[in-house]
Amino acid sequence: MLKDKYADRIEKIFAKYADKRSAVMSLLYLAQEEYGYVTEDACAEIAALIGTDPTQVRSIAGFYTMFREEPKGRYWLQVCTDLPCALRGADKFYEELLQELGIEDGGTTPDGMFTVEHVMCLAACDRAPMLQCNFHYHEHLDMDTMRALIAQWRAEAGVLAEAAAVGDAPAE
Amino acid sequence: MTTTVTIHIDGVPYAVPDGMNLVDAARIYAGVEIPIFCYHPKMKPVGMCRMCLVDLGFEVRDRATGELALNPDGTPQVRWGRKLETGCTTTVRAGMYVRTRTEQVQEARRDVLEFLLSSHPLDCPVCDKGGECPLQNLTMRHGPGTSRMAYDDKLHLDKHVPLGDLIYLDRERCIQCARCVRFQDEVVGDDVLAFHERGRRLQIITTSTPGFDTYFSGNTTDICPVGALTTADFRFGARPWELTNVPSISPHGPVGENIALSMRLDRDSGGVQVIKRVIPRQNEDVNEIWISDKTRFGHHFTLSPDRLREALARKRGELTPVALDDALKAAAKALKEAGNSVGFIGGPMTSNEDFFALRELAAHVGSRKLGLWPATLGDAAPAAEVGIASGSRLTELGKGDAVLVVASDLEEEAPIWFLQAKQAADRGAALIVANLRETKLDRYASRTVRYGLGGAVGFLDGAASDETLAQAANLVVFVGNEGLGADEHGVLLRAAANLLITTGHAGRRNNGLIPVWPGANTQGGFDLGFESAATRAMLQSAPDVLIVVGADVAETPAGAAALDAAKFVIALSLFPDATTAKADVVLPIQSFAERDGTFTNAMRRVQRFYTAQGPVGESLPAWQVIGLLGQRLGMDRPRRSAALVMKALAESVKLYAGMSYPALAEAAVQTPPIGISPGFYGGTAAAPTGGTGLQWPSKAESRAKLSVTPVEAPQAVHAGAGELVIVPLRRLYDRAPEFFASAVMHGRIPQPFVALHPSDAARLGAVDGGRVKLSAGGASLDVTAVVDATAPEGLALLPQRLAPGAFPQEPVAGRVEPVAEAVAAD
Amino acid sequence: MAEHILLRDLDVPDIKAFDVYVQHGGYEALRKAVGMTPAAVIDVVKASNLRGRGGAGFPTGVKWSFIPQSEPVKYVVVNADESEPGTFKDRQILEGNPHQLIEGAMIAAYAIQATAVYIYLRGEFWDIAANLDACIEDARKEGLIGPDVLGSGWSCEMYTHLGAGAYICGEESALLNSLQGLLGQPRVRPPFPAQKGGGLYYEATVVNNVETLTNVPWIITHGAEEYKKIGTPESPGPKIYCLSGHVAKPGNYELPLGITFRELIFEHAGGIPDGKQLKAILPSGASGPVLPATDAVLDTPLTYEAVAQIGSTLGSASIILMDETVNVAWAASKMMKFFAHESCGKCTPCREGTYWLRRRYEALLDGRAQARDIAILDDVASQMTGVTLCALGEFAVNPVRATIKHFRADYEAWIKQEAAEDKKAAKPAPAREKAAAR
Repeated sequence: MLKDKYADRIEKIFAKYADKRSAVMSLLYLAQEEYGYVTEDACAEIAALIGTDPTQVRSIAGFYTMFREEPKGRYWLQVCTDLPCALRGADKFYEELLQELGIEDGGTTPDGMFTVEHVMCLAACDRAPMLQCNFHYHEHLDMDTMRALIAQWRAEAGVLAEAAAVGDAPAE
Repeated sequence: MTTTVTIHIDGVPYAVPDGMNLVDAARIYAGVEIPIFCYHPKMKPVGMCRMCLVDLGFEVRDRATGELALNPDGTPQVRWGRKLETGCTTTVRAGMYVRTRTEQVQEARRDVLEFLLSSHPLDCPVCDKGGECPLQNLTMRHGPGTSRMAYDDKLHLDKHVPLGDLIYLDRERCIQCARCVRFQDEVVGDDVLAFHERGRRLQIITTSTPGFDTYFSGNTTDICPVGALTTADFRFGARPWELTNVPSISPHGPVGENIALSMRLDRDSGGVQVIKRVIPRQNEDVNEIWISDKTRFGHHFTLSPDRLREALARKRGELTPVALDDALKAAAKALKEAGNSVGFIGGPMTSNEDFFALRELAAHVGSRKLGLWPATLGDAAPAAEVGIASGSRLTELGKGDAVLVVASDLEEEAPIWFLQAKQAADRGAALIVANLRETKLDRYASRTVRYGLGGAVGFLDGAASDETLAQAANLVVFVGNEGLGADEHGVLLRAAANLLITTGHAGRRNNGLIPVWPGANTQGGFDLGFESAATRAMLQSAPDVLIVVGADVAETPAGAAALDAAKFVIALSLFPDATTAKADVVLPIQSFAERDGTFTNAMRRVQRFYTAQGPVGESLPAWQVIGLLGQRLGMDRPRRSAALVMKALAESVKLYAGMSYPALAEAAVQTPPIGISPGFYGGTAAAPTGGTGLQWPSKAESRAKLSVTPVEAPQAVHAGAGELVIVPLRRLYDRAPEFFASAVMHGRIPQPFVALHPSDAARLGAVDGGRVKLSAGGASLDVTAVVDATAPEGLALLPQRLAPGAFPQEPVAGRVEPVAEAVAAD
Repeated sequence: MAEHILLRDLDVPDIKAFDVYVQHGGYEALRKAVGMTPAAVIDVVKASNLRGRGGAGFPTGVKWSFIPQSEPVKYVVVNADESEPGTFKDRQILEGNPHQLIEGAMIAAYAIQATAVYIYLRGEFWDIAANLDACIEDARKEGLIGPDVLGSGWSCEMYTHLGAGAYICGEESALLNSLQGLLGQPRVRPPFPAQKGGGLYYEATVVNNVETLTNVPWIITHGAEEYKKIGTPESPGPKIYCLSGHVAKPGNYELPLGITFRELIFEHAGGIPDGKQLKAILPSGASGPVLPATDAVLDTPLTYEAVAQIGSTLGSASIILMDETVNVAWAASKMMKFFAHESCGKCTPCREGTYWLRRRYEALLDGRAQARDIAILDDVASQMTGVTLCALGEFAVNPVRATIKHFRADYEAWIKQEAAEDKKAAKPAPAREKAAAR
């Protein structure tokens, strides 16, 4: 339960607002962090915390694109292909990235490592092509830097998997 | 009071109330229809659909002098807006000019309709709403004849999505007006509907558990301006143009919801007229345009195969079908022998005409034993004195007013009043909810009062010193009988009257007492001289003959014993039940749908219902059966129609003077006019055709001198060692045959249960979900235990009419014991 | 400009650190402001004629003066939901010069006697929010935020709030809904945010853009007269221009309002790469009408008034440049996909219109369109004009109408199946619909 596990964080979030309902987005991020995506149980938990109905929480999760409503890869790559980035080769970069990983637009690699989506403007138009991976920006990309990043993430995930096996997963 | 201002609509000046919504003002005061989809006068405007765009301007005034600027021709200069404005989000004020017919406005309407239809499936030929669909109607009136949307561009979404047991959603038909979402949020306060995603994929969802499950869900299908929301009961059932709406009154509960029965000849029912659906009929004094799901879906009993179709008489100890004449003959014989030792008991759906016929028969045989069922009620004199004043509207209560609810779970007993009390609180009225347990209305209360068993009278007696109540501009007091004995209920009603008198609220409009009676015509029974106390006396000492009309007297042990003690029992009933099983003669009667009649609601409004379908079997209206019986005892032959019964009633009962059927058929003007015939606001609520009823004035309104009668609470029931006090509760959904016949509702009717406080449950060894045996007053019931922290300690809360078997209907000390083999069973 | 007023990180790389900011005169303006009356602070900002940098250009001081002083609870909300395609100026301020924003926001809060400031950041600014929280904490420790600010007796808290991916939340009333945990859909106005009933938690609220507030400390320190020496009389002050697309040196440029397109693009940003010709200019991201790169356009000064005069808007000055290789109809399809994706769905014309237009652009680029589809695109866009609930619907019309007006040939090229040969105008990735709702 989020309520027990993150009691301090939740308290800090609530302290910011005049109305608990304002905390819904922060709590959805928390739930996503905990469960990987916004589960039905998470909606019910959050609804109980902020005093509303689970449907209202689901509604918020569905409106905003940064909430995952289904499981995604461990690395969630969101490539901006909006006009300014596209003018600087983002569409081509996106196609090549999909090819590199052997998946379709919006797909997830069979090992569950990468989900790749194209998204709208991320306010980094001067540093295109760029992408956001699990909410962190990577800019001025080309396929060489991208391949290096992929390798790095794969290695990182390997480390994480090993650590998890001995019960000592570092916090992400 | 609101002031009146002058606005110009399409060049014509109109005097309208300042600050009124422009769409309403145009409709009501100018007869100008500004088309709408999302706007609904019962909810806050949101300006979403953009259908109501109008050209808005203001007269120009000189800044310095405040003088009107004039054109050379002497007309006032008008500064028109740069863009069109939505009428629904505009409130009228002085100097406003509105144009609704310019080419620009018409084009905007055409454009909005083209947009709305661009991804709409246009499946009108198979759509339930087709024929009474605002989207269809407004397209005919304002829309483009063709669409330029390429077929392949249409977005396809899910159809037939169940939002709950009762309501289905077609996401393709939905036009995202949010009326249903807003209804649940603003009106009901249960926000189980919401939008998911955004842009063109915006769609209605519920992910609540259970889904869309409120007592009001059906209303969303009425206000839906397209065929997106349909009921499980009616969908694909009929086309609107095949239906004839017959005005009626809900037979369920004390509110007297005005309804219309949509009738059609039906192949599946043998080609007879049947009720295809129940829709609200607008009456702003009663239910506005809302009805509970019980009223909407609880009509199937009228054609239930279980209905009594023929008369029964006891032959060699067995109830056997007989000719009606023979049954009447046997009954008349018993009556003749009994002399004046005859008792009469009328039940909750017994109409005024039926009560009157009983009263005439009683007078004829010289009996004064006029009893009302259930036997658990106090007397109605306090309500006659200070009952809510005529013309009062709960919808007018707001800031500065107070609503007090005592000993009632309004949501379960009178859902519409729950909505109205909740909305009064939303508008700023103080809502005080006093009960021995938590109820849903507590959520909206400005204060909740919790008293112990026997504490209701004490609380209410002291309430006059409460500043909120004493100083309220208007005060409405709802009094129920939850957790009360019959005497205590009478005292509590008296205490409520005292409060209203002491605080100076008695007799004023929007003030007074509303008794939360159990039945649709409990008030009418009282008005015609029938009393719950008289029933209690008959249960103590049974007369030789008992005539029971629409009352399952055998549902309590005392009632069953009285039926046994009486020498002869004549039961007039819709269904065979425990009471008819004990009767010597059983006579089938007609339901509210098969006959004309009147019910008087708990706000003393006498309202007509009309014959909608043919009789079931040999059943007759109860008044006619009673008349035939009287005829055999030497009375005149029965009157030829219900209208004539009512005429006689109005002549002999002072309170009902002037309440002839024609007078009751008059419809008060409804503002705003939401009902179907004007058709303007969209949706399936019927116009008030058939009459909005007449209220008889309470004594306080006639400036009669009112006096406070000091009250004293009777001794509360006391549980002995090892006992709990078993408190019966009224729940909206029960297993009475008048409701259980609606199979569509079965999923929502709980299994028989008793709610226990965790500490009591632990002490008794009862587990949540386990079986327990309740025993009290020589009766016992086998039910499921529900461990509920909101149940008060020491009480076992027992919803009535869920478990089969007789059980007391007043709080009673009794035992609650776990049944050992229970867990494995079920 | 010798020294930057807004992008001071370009002069002092470590200005983001509290100590460095203070060493360079940071928070002196706030000290000065709390020594003045709130009304005097508003008067200075009014006199400076600072205009909102979020896009609408509304005078900031006037906006502050709308707040009824008698209300006990008032808020300042900082709009950092920077989501317009081609806009990345606020991000640089938030990353590089955060304390100046905080200081400006606190001055605004003092001016209206707000009880709290909320900084609404677009959800993707995850790392920025964390850093901003640390900055706020630094300032709080020094008594610049919190109870009894600088001993003035006035108390005000400051919080960050992360959005979660919705362009519409840049619209102020949608932003307020979002901050209240509701769907980010615009509200009906009136009541306006400055009025009781219209703002955050339905209290009176000032909503200002990041760049706008970042101007404020300088104005307080140097006075309105000094400020008005920068830029033009109607549009005074420095402005951050975001340059992206086909330009040699994309990025942010802090320059006075009133310089011309030509100066900005060719003198400051290095012109168009690869010796290509500039074909089209989007002066305000996807939201403003496109302009053909004619000499008349290039010599237009960048002020709110002058850009409006040539049929476009300066907006937030997010200037996207397209060279001769670009098919502008393809660019329009990109923009329409953006608006269809970002329409909140609340009002009919925007919800249905953006979807319809997106689908027609897909048909156009798939070679399924016919000549009459150009008229349909133009018609559908025109029937969205002036009837939507908020500005998003109005903006969504621009990519269609202006591109058809100035670059009809680019549309016709698709219909004649010529454009498909053009490599630059590669077919865009198909729109992926989100999974169906439950």
